[in-house]
Amino acid sequence: MTTPFVAGPPHHADPAPGEHAVGFIRRWVFSTDHKIIGIQYIITGLLMGVAGGALAALIRLQLGWPEHRWMLLSHLLPNGMPSGVMTPEFYLAVVTMHGTIMVFFFISYVLVSGFGNYLVPLQIGAKDMAFPFLNMLSYWIAFLSAAVMLASFFVEGGAAAAGWTAYPPLSAVSSAVPGSQMGQTVWIVSMALFIVSFTMSSLNIVATVFSVRAPGLSMMRLSLTVWSYFIASILGLLAFPPLTAAAVMLLLDRHFGTSFFLPSGLVVANKLLPNTGGSPLLWQHLFWFLGHPEVYVLILPALGIACDILPAFTRKPVFGYRISVWCLVAVGCLSMIVWGHHMFVSGMSPFSGEYFSLVTLTITVPMTIFGVNMLASLRGAKLQLRTAMLFSLGVIALFGSGGLGGLFLGNATADMQLHDTYFVVGHFHMMIGGVTLLATFGAIYFWFPKMFGRTMNETLGKLHFWFTFAPFFIIFFMQHFLGLQGAPRRYYAFTAYDYLQKTRGQNLVISIAAMVLLSGQLLFFLNFVWSLFKGPAAEANPWQATTLEWTVPSPPPHGNFDAIPIVQRWAYEYGVQTVDGDFAVQTVASHHARVTA
Amino acid sequence: MTAYSIAGLKARATAERDVETGRDVAQGFSPATLREDQVRLGLWMFLGTVTMLFAAFTSAYVVRRSGSDWRHVALPPMLWVNTIVLAASSLALEAANRSGLGGGWRAASGAFAAALALGFGFLAGQIAAWRQMVAAGVYLPSSPHSSFFYMLTGAHALHVVAALGVLIWGAAATWSGDRNRRAWAARMGVCRTFWHYLGAVWLFLFALVSIY
Repeated sequence: MTTPFVAGPPHHADPAPGEHAVGFIRRWVFSTDHKIIGIQYIITGLLMGVAGGALAALIRLQLGWPEHRWMLLSHLLPNGMPSGVMTPEFYLAVVTMHGTIMVFFFISYVLVSGFGNYLVPLQIGAKDMAFPFLNMLSYWIAFLSAAVMLASFFVEGGAAAAGWTAYPPLSAVSSAVPGSQMGQTVWIVSMALFIVSFTMSSLNIVATVFSVRAPGLSMMRLSLTVWSYFIASILGLLAFPPLTAAAVMLLLDRHFGTSFFLPSGLVVANKLLPNTGGSPLLWQHLFWFLGHPEVYVLILPALGIACDILPAFTRKPVFGYRISVWCLVAVGCLSMIVWGHHMFVSGMSPFSGEYFSLVTLTITVPMTIFGVNMLASLRGAKLQLRTAMLFSLGVIALFGSGGLGGLFLGNATADMQLHDTYFVVGHFHMMIGGVTLLATFGAIYFWFPKMFGRTMNETLGKLHFWFTFAPFFIIFFMQHFLGLQGAPRRYYAFTAYDYLQKTRGQNLVISIAAMVLLSGQLLFFLNFVWSLFKGPAAEANPWQATTLEWTVPSPPPHGNFDAIPIVQRWAYEYGVQTVDGDFAVQTVASHHARVTA
Repeated sequence: MTAYSIAGLKARATAERDVETGRDVAQGFSPATLREDQVRLGLWMFLGTVTMLFAAFTSAYVVRRSGSDWRHVALPPMLWVNTIVLAASSLALEAANRSGLGGGWRAASGAFAAALALGFGFLAGQIAAWRQMVAAGVYLPSSPHSSFFYMLTGAHALHVVAALGVLIWGAAATWSGDRNRRAWAARMGVCRTFWHYLGAVWLFLFALVSIY
């Protein structure tokens, strides 16, 4: 395909202008190029995802086949599964680390930091991030943070076991469970490193969007992907510091005898603790002040990316762009004031409960509008069901069905019943697990040609989609019903309770679906590695899309653009006729095709 | 050295900003000015996150304050001296800025040296205050109030250490012979914003732990 209006330079082996001849280490390891850093984040995150997935497999083995002895695993994990059956302490550590790794080290790294780094400068027509050195520093601190978190499996007492929310007193008293020993301290240190890294990364993205947009690229011409990263980064900047404060206090409680979170009269292991007057609820407030915006930090980029993949395969603009942008802004603002809905059962005043219910239900309004806009973007279109498109459609499906559960949980009276049951597990896995996972895969299939100059295999990709979407939906849809039957989350031996005996069959089905889901990911890794080396060469704009990254060769040269592009139109100019086809990239001048926004 | 004035600096800065805002109509922009803009923007965002950090500490203080075991500990009078030292440091930094803008580089260098010395003096004073507390038998876990006192002043002191690093960066520009005035003024802007901000945070924290 020719792109006569596009200022993309021919791909050449010589260093691009501004590119210095640098050695292997500076170019691939300690690179300051946002594209390399983005790919580093993505690879690191995918590897952490494998670790998180392996932990999920352990959880499902225990819940699907509670009494079965897995002799092979007893050799691999002599402490956690000494006789082939998991110990309760190890189960808690596995659940904790699965949540921590998936939220902070898989989705955050691949989707937020990885694609954020890769896409934001390219889509705004910049040569790099505003602070390239800071960017490199963010990645290496993030890498260190991941390494420290994994190392916690090997310290005395094993990994942290107080849940990914690290509620005290379990997280604050070293003698509580084995995981409360060194593992919890290492968890806090790793999280502190993560926060430092993520804050620097967020600051960089906001500064980049503010300061180096290409000429003509007004805020209302940005792609929804860039908008979502922009809002998510602002949320990250404002929401993470309270967790830093909380982590400092937790460390002081653990090691220096303070009583920020530890109440009077606490007896652990038959010993009365000397602490007085602390408030465990204080931790919950500080944690969820971060924790709730954090779910939007994860889900907004997923929605933004899905919105940008859709038009390439519907060949029409996204529906309601401006309203979608304002929805992102509204969700960003509201997400900072709804944290208490995680704490309805904490004994809060009914008035507070009423307030948090109201604002939580309010946040569903912009989210629903956004979802309806995504659906409306499909209306009347002839869908091209390529792999990336399937994943985007999957995002809409999970967002719609998972979001419904949020209506129940956001309502204090219903939440009293459903709190800490599998209903919650089903809900948040569909939302910050599923929506983000499918968007991550969609993004990989969509931008892989740009990143590596090769295209992924479509047949394997579509198989991968069905082996992901179908079992994922089965697992977490069914968990809603487990929750309605009163099955509590984080319980290791649910079979010890008569009323849960009847859920054995359901747990077995869920576990089988989980194994299908996890094995299905082999298709992805096979496709990824094979395509990296043997995939067909990719054109500059294989999907005939409109944003600026498609105007440069695949992969883009160092410095991205030979000359800073001049933007003439918004990011969704589909359905117009140019010599390129039924679309106009953002740099096409107005006299070649009508500018609609 | 050409004649230089605050008004001239402002006029120049305005002209550059005009070029910058004009970049949406593809007039191009000056990389140096862009870099300075980015650093200023980055600093304000950083200060936003620091504000959220101390806001979180403050809300924790307010919540914990309502506990039945709350007991106020006596704070060392040394803190008043430290407060004056920090305020004097801010004033010295302002004097350095004014002198530099007026072309009085010797005075600016001297004032900057004083600002730095007073900054380090504040840090030394804080350490002395902690030692006085320890000597009086008031430790980190002695009471919720003392826990918060050590934690808040410690967190503030860590930021002061970072800011002193930034001040040294500013001082290097003031003391060096190479005086690109716009770049110098931009660097001074970063130093002043960061330093005065931490001064304000200190006043707030000192008031919080003393009064409430």
